[in-house]
Amino acid sequence: MEVTLWGTRGSLATPGPETARYGGNTSCVGVRGPDGTVLVLDAGTGIRRLGTTLDSSVRRVHILLTHLHMDHIQGLGFFGPLYRPDVEVSIWGPVSSKLGLRERLMRYLSPPLFPVSLRELPCQLTLHEVPCGEVDIGEFRVSSALVCHPGPTVGYRITDAKGSVLVYLPDHEPALGPSPFPSLPRAWTSGGSLAANADLLIHDSQYGSHQYLTHVGWGHSSLKQTLDFATLSEVKHLVPFHHDPSHTDVDLDRLMAEAIAEAKPTYRVTPGQEGTTFRL
Amino acid sequence: MATSKSIQIILARQLASCVATPILLVDAEGTLIFYNEPAETIFHTRFDETGEIPAGEWTARLAAVDDDRKPIPPEDRPMMRVLSECAPLSQTIWIQRADGEWRHLRVTAFPLIGEKDILFGAMSIFWEI
Repeated sequence: MEVTLWGTRGSLATPGPETARYGGNTSCVGVRGPDGTVLVLDAGTGIRRLGTTLDSSVRRVHILLTHLHMDHIQGLGFFGPLYRPDVEVSIWGPVSSKLGLRERLMRYLSPPLFPVSLRELPCQLTLHEVPCGEVDIGEFRVSSALVCHPGPTVGYRITDAKGSVLVYLPDHEPALGPSPFPSLPRAWTSGGSLAANADLLIHDSQYGSHQYLTHVGWGHSSLKQTLDFATLSEVKHLVPFHHDPSHTDVDLDRLMAEAIAEAKPTYRVTPGQEGTTFRL
Repeated sequence: MATSKSIQIILARQLASCVATPILLVDAEGTLIFYNEPAETIFHTRFDETGEIPAGEWTARLAAVDDDRKPIPPEDRPMMRVLSECAPLSQTIWIQRADGEWRHLRVTAFPLIGEKDILFGAMSIFWEI
């Protein structure tokens, strides 16, 4: 599979010369299978540009939402295929205890927050509620599970026909509770089994270690915790992701270098930069 | 993919780990999957030593009687009733801990129900009377 980062920023789009290298668009990752299956992981502002790269031969797109915080859905209404009647768009996302996915999405995709209502979209739209165990989506097998983040939030594990595994956990605070972290086995760690032995793990790394101390419970990880989580999960390649809006490219270079020097990971680490493509 | 605890159970354990109230957690099958340090004091046994204990085994290890000192059958223990009835309850019981001592407890137990009404287990909070 081919995995491209279209938005790596957390919380708020942060365009500008000081964030140009890591990128200012919010969470969005494109996944293409060799047989042409198109998965879009989250619909942050990065999804707009992803949409412009899909040629007219693409007839089916699956959008997998981890949760419905604004930085993960803000780009949805600007995703070109939603306005093409010849395209089937499936949106997968978590329900709350009281509202289904359609009702939750309509809170954003309806006036006054957005001029076009969900039911007015010209595409052939279907909605699927997660977590729903293991499902086959095109050529991929996809698992989802609720993880530690405020509000219903899932992570996704995507396996292709060759057995390569991508795990996507953009908003995740597995360190909430266990002290020190990690101190419990994988089965008792949020996202632990989902991420186990992944070939590529894209994971929340919003904060520096000191910054995390004033943001405990906000649903995000420090870069050090992300490295420790990746070690616990025995992944092969980690992509720190969902960068804090306050971090410039210079800040991120320094934070990455310091954390990697301290943790000495035995796996590969590639800091998440907009436009990067990985091939599994 | 290896089986993981649900996020509801993981968070319940984290909560239990950082409060001074004795707490016990069972999964949907009734397996005792965690009890915290304050509960260890009452049970006179450590979780690190016992680990998870299947339903039949822990109800057999821990004798329980009602206020009239009549034995409470395993299926009528607070946690088992919560799982079978999917409803909270509160009652007083006597339990015999590992060293043979009897303790009088007030138990409040409630089910952990997730999305789509999936039962993940139950949590009980208890006080010595």
